[in-house]
Amino acid sequence: MEPITRRAALGAALALPAAAALAGTARAAAPTEIDLFFPVPVQGMLANKMRELIDRFNNEHPDLKVTAVYTGSYDDTNLKTRAAIKAGRPPGAVIMSANFVREYVINEDADAFDPLIEKDGKTADAFMDQFWPALKPNAVIARRVYGIPFQNSTPLLYYNVSAFTEAGLDPDHPPVTWADWIAAARALTKTEGGQTTRWGLMFPATYDYCGWIVSGLTMSNGGQYFNHDYGGEVYYNAPSTLGALTLLDKLVNRLKVTPSGVSDANACTLAFFAGHTAMMVLSTGSLSFVRENMKTPYRVAFMPKNVRNAAPIGGASLILPKGNSPERQAAAWTLISWLTSPEIAGEWSRFTGYFAPRKAAYDLPEMKDYLQQHPDAKVALDQLQYAVPWFDTYNTVAVRKAIEDQVQAILSGKTTPADAVMTAQKNADELLRPYVEETALKRLA
Amino acid sequence: MLAPALLFLAAFTYWPLLHVLGDSLTVGRFVGQHAFGLDNYRRLFVDPHFGRAAWNNAVYAAGTIVPSLFLALLFALALRDTTRLTTVLRTLVAMPLMIPLVAAAALFSFILLPGEGLLDFYLAKLGLPMINWLGDTDLALGSIIAITVWKNAGYYMLFFLAGLAAVPPELLDAATIDGAGAWRRFRNITLPMLGPTFAFVVPMAILNALTQVDHVVTMTQGGPADATNLLLYYIYQQAAQNYDVGLASSATVISVATLLALSLISFRLLERGIYYES
Amino acid sequence: MRVDWRLPALLAASAGALLWAVPFAWMAVAAMRPGVPSDIASLTPPGPFGPGNFQEAWHSGSFPLWYLNTFVVCGGILAVQLVTVSAAGYVFARLTFPGRDCLFGMFLLQLLLVPPLLIVPNLATLVSLHLYDTLLGIMAPYFASAFGTFLMRQTFRSIPRDYEEAAMLEGATVPALIRHVLVPLARPGLAAFAIVSVTAHWNEFLWPLMAVSSSSNQVLTVGLASFASGAEAGSAWGIVAAGTFLVAGPLILLFLVFQRRFVASLVFSGIK
Repeated sequence: MEPITRRAALGAALALPAAAALAGTARAAAPTEIDLFFPVPVQGMLANKMRELIDRFNNEHPDLKVTAVYTGSYDDTNLKTRAAIKAGRPPGAVIMSANFVREYVINEDADAFDPLIEKDGKTADAFMDQFWPALKPNAVIARRVYGIPFQNSTPLLYYNVSAFTEAGLDPDHPPVTWADWIAAARALTKTEGGQTTRWGLMFPATYDYCGWIVSGLTMSNGGQYFNHDYGGEVYYNAPSTLGALTLLDKLVNRLKVTPSGVSDANACTLAFFAGHTAMMVLSTGSLSFVRENMKTPYRVAFMPKNVRNAAPIGGASLILPKGNSPERQAAAWTLISWLTSPEIAGEWSRFTGYFAPRKAAYDLPEMKDYLQQHPDAKVALDQLQYAVPWFDTYNTVAVRKAIEDQVQAILSGKTTPADAVMTAQKNADELLRPYVEETALKRLA
Repeated sequence: MLAPALLFLAAFTYWPLLHVLGDSLTVGRFVGQHAFGLDNYRRLFVDPHFGRAAWNNAVYAAGTIVPSLFLALLFALALRDTTRLTTVLRTLVAMPLMIPLVAAAALFSFILLPGEGLLDFYLAKLGLPMINWLGDTDLALGSIIAITVWKNAGYYMLFFLAGLAAVPPELLDAATIDGAGAWRRFRNITLPMLGPTFAFVVPMAILNALTQVDHVVTMTQGGPADATNLLLYYIYQQAAQNYDVGLASSATVISVATLLALSLISFRLLERGIYYES
Repeated sequence: MRVDWRLPALLAASAGALLWAVPFAWMAVAAMRPGVPSDIASLTPPGPFGPGNFQEAWHSGSFPLWYLNTFVVCGGILAVQLVTVSAAGYVFARLTFPGRDCLFGMFLLQLLLVPPLLIVPNLATLVSLHLYDTLLGIMAPYFASAFGTFLMRQTFRSIPRDYEEAAMLEGATVPALIRHVLVPLARPGLAAFAIVSVTAHWNEFLWPLMAVSSSSNQVLTVGLASFASGAEAGSAWGIVAAGTFLVAGPLILLFLVFQRRFVASLVFSGIK
């Protein structure tokens, strides 16, 4: 007797939630419902702020209902979006890492914004002019707008003021060239009894961060790093790239001013807060986090240059995944326009530390006050004049990893820069081959 | 009667097996034409990431199976008597089996943090330099192995405890009276009687070595520089990140074949071992 | 001179066990320290202590939702498994037919071919059954359990046939027979299986990660993973520790309370 009733009860009790889970997504709704996938750093702060913004949007637009879905890191968000598109259930809009937009276009997984922009009475060019110029190459592909920039960052050099004065360096004049940088790092590194108690410089070298920083260094070295207009070419085996990798090799293996191996962002920030590293390279997206947790005086500066100043753009843009109905697209467009308006873009920027892609945001009084009170944010903004596009190619992640794996090996002392660039180029070319054979090297009749 | 079970098995075990075999032999081009051929396997064997993943997995398997079984046995032997103290100690060692591997990964992400993490923090008090456990290409795999051993040793220990409890005390007493020392007793009586336990635990450990990659997914993503790439992680990457169904499927076929072969071999060997002794 | 190994062994084992417990000790300590103290690694901090991290973790993650989803998944899997393994176990224990042993061998194949290993085709199956991104999709591959079938086969075999013969004389049908006679007698085996099944699926990560994309369908393990990793900023480790505790806590507590049961189940299901 007992087992049957228990099992039946269990079955009945489970059928309801299971049915609800199945039926959950197929709601018939009077307001148009769309979901927004978004990635942000965790620990509540930013995810909650996004949800708060979306709540506000929903209140202001009663005929729409947006559900904000937190989807993890940039890479995770990419995976989830592609999976959802493949399964025939694309989200209404996605805040996608800006350097993945090109791939969505190549794979025909995203729709262009041009028809929606034109319906609002603007031309695509005029529309995109509202954003910082450096953001265009990652957003406008094959002359059509596929990404609307939402949050952007560049790498920044954070440095500890007391460490500088202690080492006899002038905190008002942070390193400007690579030569300055190396000299400063050497002066700032402290060893006691054979062990390093304070490193001169630390930077994250995990997947994604590594490639980002290396692209910046290469472009500061005068290089292009990749073909900004065509997703089938990368320039790993080039003097500019070799020079950048040699710099890293020197810092880590020869001068030992940077710890060996791969450090992640957490290790860098914790070390910086504890005074165990005098300088660190970190995203402007971490400005707020550092501001809140760094108890001793610090400042920020441009990334040092060798041939020219260059700061690669990071961050995310809003895209329209393929497979959405015109109603959903229209709803997504309303959301996107709202999110990228100067007021909201400015608010998000002040809250997070990302800079606002919308130029007009900086004309608003709140923003001007904010920049006055927070000179570090001003430095980030000033560096924008030297911004360069983010690495994006066919099969971006794998091609990016081709050089990241080599750089990580250099950081562990396992390979030389010369070998690294050759191997990276070879591996990258192999990965790009399918795309190249369909485009540049297409077999013509 | 068997229908329901068979249905699900068919859907999620047999059919996928055939499907993956088929996919591995389907050579698709960039735009999506289909042909049949062995090109996926060719690409697989040429891919340095796959070779590295296979090698890493072999090292990982040896590095996790041997130490965890060894430690499990040692713990079991030391804690075989049931007292208040040993119960507490057994619980401490076995607790890791109850948490998800990703929880272990979250904890160890901190513990292994260079400089500020628990391990380096306490090592610094002993005067040792900062070590980048997960970021150094030489150490990363070892760190991942250590996490796995920590997680699984307690689990295997439970089986050894049960196996030890099944050894008749009279046999051991008789041997003691005959003058056999602890090592002799262990080697000639206990160890052979643990045969069935080994026959169960070793295949399980092999299975775990090939199918537990949660920590790689969340901590290192195969890095740095492929140092912690494992077969299942490689498959996951090809499938989920690169959408390369051909590579993912051929890698799956190879991994499954390896798993089946290893399980069969270890099983046969251990069975024979048991027969011989009993 | 005979050396009594027992004391040194016990001392060594104590040291080992304490070492083994360090990660948990840290988790407990760090979870109780709000903010980002500079010595977050310390196992013996002076304080201050407070529940702030748990509150933060609870609010920034979606723990209630993850708990619910995990309960549904584990409960749902178990419910269906109980039916399939009882039926299949009976067939292999009591019936004879040509090819039975061969079929049983094929069942055992499932022990090795865990769903994450067959990710590519399994996801395709889910999509074609419209089960992608649903809780049911997470559960489906586990509904048939070779492990459970095996266990039930052994358990049923050890039950004397007298009970069944008596029931059959009274005209019972086979399903009724299983339900009313065998299952009650197989309680210990079923309980053992239940414990193993729930534990395994509570802790499952890779398959739920791949099978589900929307955050409303995520389970505790997947939630924890996204919770504990950051994108561009650093982590507040106290909150990570608290979040980990929220995920791992329930099973650990159950383990501590029902230790003997757990251990007996795990071992029982392993020993042939």
